[in-house]
Amino acid sequence: MGSQPMDPIRLAPTDRSPLVDFDFEAGHLQLRGESYPEDAAAFFGPLLQALRGYLAEPSPDPITFEVGLAYFNSSSAKALMNLFMPLEDAAAEGRSVTVRWLFADGDETIEEAGEDFAADFSSARFEMVREQPA
Amino acid sequence: MKPEILAPASTPVPTDAPLRRGGSLRGAGPRRSSEFLKAAGFLDVPQADGADTMRPGALRGSARGRDLDSLAHTLFLRIYPVIAVVVLVTQIGIAWVNYSDQIRLYKERADLMAALSAKAIARPDWSATPEIYRQQVQALTLDPAFRSVTLRNAAGAVVMSIGDMPRGRTFELIISQADLVAASGTAPLGRLTLAISAEALRGNAEKQAILALVTSLILMLVFVVTLHANVRRHVLAPLKRLLLAMREVEHKRWVPVDLDGEFRASNEIDVISQAFNRMVDGLRTGDEAKQLLQQLEQAHAKLADANRFVMESIGYARRIQSSVLPERSALAGTGLEVAVLWEPLHLVGGDYFWLEEVDGLGILVVADCTGHGVPGAFLTLIVATALDRILHERRLRAPTDILRALDTMVRAQLRQDGRGSESDDGLDCGVCIWDRANVEIRFAGAGLALTTVTDGVVTRIKGAKRGLGYPQRAGEQFASVDVVVPVTPGTTYYLMTDGISDQMGGLKPTRRLLGHRGVTDILGAHQALPLAEQVAALETELVAYRGGEARRDDMTLVAFRPTPEVLPAVA
Repeated sequence: MGSQPMDPIRLAPTDRSPLVDFDFEAGHLQLRGESYPEDAAAFFGPLLQALRGYLAEPSPDPITFEVGLAYFNSSSAKALMNLFMPLEDAAAEGRSVTVRWLFADGDETIEEAGEDFAADFSSARFEMVREQPA
Repeated sequence: MKPEILAPASTPVPTDAPLRRGGSLRGAGPRRSSEFLKAAGFLDVPQADGADTMRPGALRGSARGRDLDSLAHTLFLRIYPVIAVVVLVTQIGIAWVNYSDQIRLYKERADLMAALSAKAIARPDWSATPEIYRQQVQALTLDPAFRSVTLRNAAGAVVMSIGDMPRGRTFELIISQADLVAASGTAPLGRLTLAISAEALRGNAEKQAILALVTSLILMLVFVVTLHANVRRHVLAPLKRLLLAMREVEHKRWVPVDLDGEFRASNEIDVISQAFNRMVDGLRTGDEAKQLLQQLEQAHAKLADANRFVMESIGYARRIQSSVLPERSALAGTGLEVAVLWEPLHLVGGDYFWLEEVDGLGILVVADCTGHGVPGAFLTLIVATALDRILHERRLRAPTDILRALDTMVRAQLRQDGRGSESDDGLDCGVCIWDRANVEIRFAGAGLALTTVTDGVVTRIKGAKRGLGYPQRAGEQFASVDVVVPVTPGTTYYLMTDGISDQMGGLKPTRRLLGHRGVTDILGAHQALPLAEQVAALETELVAYRGGEARRDDMTLVAFRPTPEVLPAVA
C-alpha cells in the first residue's frame, strides 16, 4: 500500500494561538508563539488528530517536533502533553523522534516547563534549546 | 397661444414666498432645485415643504413629456415669426428693386420713342400739315403699353392727339416729353407728349409678391418640420430617457441612463447623461455605504446589548463566587497574619482559595482550575463543595488525604472515572495545614508549590507534578506525601497560582514571562512590610511589568506568616 503524503497544516499565529507548521512530508513539526486559546481542545484537537493519522502510517522517516512557546496556559500544557504522548509511543516502537524545546535565555518558567515535559520522555530525544536574544 | 411652460396651470402660486429659503429676499442665495425645475416647467405637482430632498412624483409630469412638447412649441413660436418676417422683407426688397428697374427701363423706352418721333416730325412748318406725320405718330401705338400721344405746336395748342390721356391713376403712367427741334440752337417748334402704361409691371409685381409669400410659407413649413424632427430626435427623446432614469433614481433604483439607442443625443445631453451616470454611481455607492453603516450600527447595538447582558450576568456570577470565598480574616484566631490577592481575569475565574480554622488548625487551600471565566468558576464551585465535605463530613486533616479525596471527588463529579465523559478538566492545588500547637506547617501540593522567603532566600516546595481531576491513564495514581515545613521567625509563606508568575512583559528581545523568580524578587524586596501592603506592592509591580500586555490568567496569592506573639523573633 503506497503511503499517501499528508497535507501540511499551516496556521498563522494570533494573539492567543501559536504559529503551527506541521510539514508531515518533511517530518518537521513546529509550534511557535503563545498559546492560550479560549478553547484549547478545539484548537489542538485537529492537530492531535492529524498527528495520530500521520503516525499511524509506518514510515522510517525521522520526526522533529520543535516547540517554542513564550507562554502557554494549563489547558495548552495538557494539549501539548497529548501531542507528546503519541510521539513518545512512536519512538518506543523504534521511530526516530526528536522534540526540541525552545526557551529564551533567562525564561525560567518555560525552561522548567520543558524540564517537566522531558521527564515524561524515555524513548524520544528531548532537547532543551536555549535561545539567546538576537 | 400663451405657452403653458411659463405658468403651468396646475402649479399653485406659493403664498408664503417671502418665507422661503433662498428666495429673493436673501438676494444671492442659491436657487433651490425646485425653483429651477419650476422655471424649467418641470413641476406639475403641488410643492411640499422640504423640497430639497427627492420626492417621488416630482418629475412624473415631466417624464410624460408634455412639458417637453411645450418647450418645443415655445422654441418654434419664438423663432417662426422672426424667420417669416425676415423672409418676407427680403422678398419684398428684391421685388421692389426689380420693379424700380423695370420702371426705369420703361421710362428710357418712352424717352427714346418720344425723341425718335420728335426728330422725325421736326420740320419748320410741320404744324401746317400735321396729317403728313400722322402715320409716323400712329406707329407709336404699336407699343402694347401705349396709352396716348399728343403733339402741340410752338404756341402750345394741340395739333394732334391719339389715344386717351388717362386721368387719375397717374402712378401707372409713364409720361415722356420731347421738344420738336429742327436744328440745334433754334427755338422748339412744338412738343410731343407720350404716355405709356406700367400696368403690366404692376401685374408682375403682384405675382412676385404672391410667389414670395408662398415661398416663405413653404420655407417655414420645411423649417418647422425639420426643426421639430431634429429637436425631438436629438433633444426630447434623450431628455425623456434621462427623466425616466431620474425617476428610477428617485425610487432608489440605481439605473444609469443609456443613450446608445437609435437616437444620438446632442453633445450637451450626452455630457449631462454621463454626469448623471457618474452621479448615480456616486449615489449608489453612498447609499450602499449608508446601508452598510446602518447594518453595522444595528449589529453594534445588538452586540452592545448582548455584551451588557453577558456582563450583567457575569457581574452577578462574581457576587455569587465572591460569596463562596471565605472571609480573609478567617484565620485571625490562629495566630496567622494572612493577606490574599484574588483577581480573576474575567470577573469570575477558575482560581479559588479556602481559609478555615478547624479543630485549632488553620487550613489554607489554593486551587487553580482549568479554564478561567465562567467555565473556571463552575469548577471552583465543585471544589468548594468537595472541600466542605472533605473537611466537615470526612474530617480529613492531612494535606495529602485532602488532595487525594479532592481528586476522587472532582473526578466523580465530572464523570471522568470511566463513566464516559468529555471532560478533560482538573485543577492544580496546594494545601497547607497550620498547626499552631506544634508550630509547624504541613504541606502537600498537586501542581502547585509552596514558596517560602526567609531573609531573601527563596525556597519552593513542589508537590506532585500532576494536578487533580483529569481522566486518568491506566494505573495512574495520585502520589504525594505531606511535607512538614518547620516554621521559623522571619519566614513568609506563599501559595500562588501560575497566573501570578505568568505575566508577559518586557520589550521584544527580552519579552518574556516574569516567572517565579521575578515574583519572589518583588516579594523579597518588600519583606519588611505588613503582608497586606506587600501584596498591594506586588500587584502594583505586576501592572508595571506587564506594561501594555494583557493579563494571561486568573491570579491568586495567599501570603501568610505566624504573628510575632505566636513566634517571637529569635533575639
